[in-house]
Amino acid sequence: MAGIWIVAETREQAFELLGAGRLLAPEMETTVTAVVAKGSASPQECIARGADEVLLLAELAPGEPFGAQLPVIEQEARASSPHAILFSATARGKETAARLSARLAAGLCSACTALAFDKATGSIVMERLAYGGAAIQKLAASAAPVVITIPPRSFEPAEAMDGRQGKTRELPAPPPSAVKIVERKPKEKVSKDITEARVIVCAGRGFDKKEDIALARRLADALGGELGATRPLTEELHWLPEDLCIGLSGVQVKPELYVGLGVSGQVQHMTGVRGAKVVCSVNRDENAPIFALSDFGIVGDLYEVVPKILEKLET
Amino acid sequence: MPTIVACFKWVVDEVYIRRGAGGALDFSSVDYKIGEYDRNAIEEAVRQRDAGGGGSVIGVTVGTPESAKGVKDGLSRGMDQAFFVSDPSFKDLEPSQTAAILAEVIRSRIPQYDLIACGEGSSDLYAQQVGPRLAELLGIPCVCFVQKLSIEGGRLRAERRVEDGVEVVEAPLPALVTVLPDINTPRIPGVRDTLMAGKKPVITVKRDELTGTFEGALKTAAMTASSLERTGEKLAADSAGIARFVDSLRKSGVIK
Ligand SMILES: Cc1cc2nc3c(=O)[nH]c(=O)nc-3n(C[C@H](O)[C@H](O)[C@H](O)COP(=O)(O)OP(=O)(O)OC[C@H]3O[C@@H](n4cnc5c(N)ncnc54)[C@H](O)[C@@H]3O)c2cc1C
Ligand SMILES: Nc1ncnc2c1ncn2[C@@H]1O[C@H](COP(=O)(O)O)[C@@H](O)[C@H]1O
Repeated sequence: MAGIWIVAETREQAFELLGAGRLLAPEMETTVTAVVAKGSASPQECIARGADEVLLLAELAPGEPFGAQLPVIEQEARASSPHAILFSATARGKETAARLSARLAAGLCSACTALAFDKATGSIVMERLAYGGAAIQKLAASAAPVVITIPPRSFEPAEAMDGRQGKTRELPAPPPSAVKIVERKPKEKVSKDITEARVIVCAGRGFDKKEDIALARRLADALGGELGATRPLTEELHWLPEDLCIGLSGVQVKPELYVGLGVSGQVQHMTGVRGAKVVCSVNRDENAPIFALSDFGIVGDLYEVVPKILEKLET
Repeated sequence: MPTIVACFKWVVDEVYIRRGAGGALDFSSVDYKIGEYDRNAIEEAVRQRDAGGGGSVIGVTVGTPESAKGVKDGLSRGMDQAFFVSDPSFKDLEPSQTAAILAEVIRSRIPQYDLIACGEGSSDLYAQQVGPRLAELLGIPCVCFVQKLSIEGGRLRAERRVEDGVEVVEAPLPALVTVLPDINTPRIPGVRDTLMAGKKPVITVKRDELTGTFEGALKTAAMTASSLERTGEKLAADSAGIARFVDSLRKSGVIK
């Protein structure tokens, strides 16, 4: 039957992936199938947003990870041979997509940021970053299926339309998985979504200790913005929540103003702020790469410079 | 005593990539390195070996003959021996091809192993695919994005980081894990480590010693340099510099 498939674990993922899927389906004159976890987006919601068919994943037994659904998804995919299968590039999505690709001997475009169907060649063309963000890799898939993962919030979610119809089918429960979840430690608090922030003050490794981040927060408050961070602060030191990590392995932001404090300006981080209107920085090393990647910046110690900036802002 | 396989890749250090004429990538002055996160994979393999009271760490890398330097670098990080799967055609392999090559080498040349450790992603492609693909091809359980790991009684216990928190999981061995950078701090090899590395066994596997066809599934239509450069005005940390900085902020229109 072919078609475009989306596989979603949450409602937000389903809507965004349907939005991405609808970029392809009309051009390819094909249908959209939404494979969704029960309790995420409802079949009606998926159909209104462009799905022609909804396949409901069975509820998992306690302790079964999302990856347990793999054999069920594989079997359905083999039966209907979709052209493309879209997943969200979340931890579970990336793992499941890669494992499914191996089983189907399919190509996989990881962290795809642009997507189109090229009628002339009959192939799906995709873009992603390579070399830490120093390069843009353009991939073409002519063989089906191609599996694609999409970083959350890269595409517009699909809007609901009136009068749409579609079928719904429940999928069987998967066999038990070899990997078992023995404990879940939910995150205490989901932090702010910085992808829509107008102003971001980003703290880097130039801060000496966790308490000092208060200085960056003060500047963010003074500028009416949010706090962001480089990966060492969220990933290695755990001074700030992971959702605040900007860059290749974090989020892509597009503020009107980005202020980097004690950020060296490695490409993996700076690729995340390519959409910023104005980039400025404070770094004590005049040879730090961030200066060439900023509109303007101060060469100096952030502990001396930031209080002065705050003072000046008040006058 | 565990046998642990560590997969690592010798990659272009992206710091030295320049933007050439017409947006082409200029590799003329590049240097190479073992991918950042692959160093965590090697370190974790070594730690698990030592925690298991011995055993061995077998490194495996797929690359062009020039990657020989990477094999020695890997061995200086505590591995016991290495498989170097090398061919001039192994240059811009897709993750699907790399996984297929690794699977054949491991299946045919490493008869018994307890754990395979991969990095969270390679430093050049950062596709985050090779690990989970390899696990499927070998038909073993796979746990990705692991921040904490222990092995006991033929099982692994891992903390795996997901968007909504942490999942503590268990799986029977042999299994494959991909590790996050905060799982450990990779050692920096000393002179002695480098000298010792030269004495460790390296088994080179050539393309024609393998049976697979290793065809790619996707086509790279273009690889172009992205430009992040801006005007780059540098200001001093004196009162004039601060004044100009705040002025520029105001001019940007985002603050009053
Ligand atoms: C595959 C891959 C993916 C990655 N993804 C990301 C990502 O998504 N996001 C990310 O951020 N990183 C990512 N990284 C890591 C990235 O390469 C850099 O290591 C990281 O961005 C550096 O963070 P930093 O600038 O805070 O720290 P550093 O590079 O250590 O820089 C600290 C800077 O602070 C300056 N400084 C020190 N003290 C002071 C002071 N008192 N006043 C002023 N300046 C001072 C120093 O001069 C230095 O320039 C990734 C790496 C890899 C390999
Ligand atoms: N050429 C290679 N040789 C050996 N291992 C590799 C190779 N490429 C990737 N890997 C392993 O697979 C992981 C993920 O790579 P990737 O899917 O390219 O992001 C890396 O961190 C390595 O552990």
